[in-house]
Amino acid sequence: MTDFEALLKALSRHQVAFIVVGGAAAIAHGSARLTQDLDIVYERSPANLDGLVAALAEYQPYLRGAPPGLPFLWDRVTLTRGLNFTLATSLGDIDLLGEIPGGGAYDDLLPDAIELHVFQTCCLCLSLPQLIRAKRAAGRPKDLEALAELEAIEEEEI
Amino acid sequence: MDRPQRPNPNPNPDPVVAAYKKDIDRTLIRENLRLTVEERFRKAMALARFADEMRRAGREAKLPRP
Repeated sequence: MTDFEALLKALSRHQVAFIVVGGAAAIAHGSARLTQDLDIVYERSPANLDGLVAALAEYQPYLRGAPPGLPFLWDRVTLTRGLNFTLATSLGDIDLLGEIPGGGAYDDLLPDAIELHVFQTCCLCLSLPQLIRAKRAAGRPKDLEALAELEAIEEEEI
Repeated sequence: MDRPQRPNPNPNPDPVVAAYKKDIDRTLIRENLRLTVEERFRKAMALARFADEMRRAGREAKLPRP
């Protein structure tokens, strides 16, 4: 089980610039669907990559689904060479995304992101319209069902 | 009893999404909207723990009995 509280606190403790997206963002907006991981879009400046490395280092991040023993160095160089990382950690699964369909990168998402005050910390999260746009752009069958629920939430909030 | 359906803010609804939407349990959504964000996360984590425990029990139940 993913410990959302511990992961969000670890990221905030190291002042990582990130935005919660995906299923966890949907939960924040009232979704009743279960999610297995925390998805975040992270800012890709060198200083922020260092913060991200420091935040997760003690939780043994490893490429999810990769065979054990694969050489994987959790450092800024690794993050610089890739964009999206699906990781397993001792706190649960976390997906680090450089950008998302229908939304773009951190700087594109930032203006419309909302502040979440949760677990005695503050982090950014996609707004409901942003989340709906991202799900619509992703367009996978599972996203269409999630999209239906998000639109229902939007209707309930009117 | 369900409350009357509210207007869809999306002017161009996708027929597939609309088909899914009619089966959404809005009572669960309304229940969640009454919670704080932190309560929503804690509820999701509790449900995930429950799901893990049910999977474990399911695996165990399929093991041959001694």
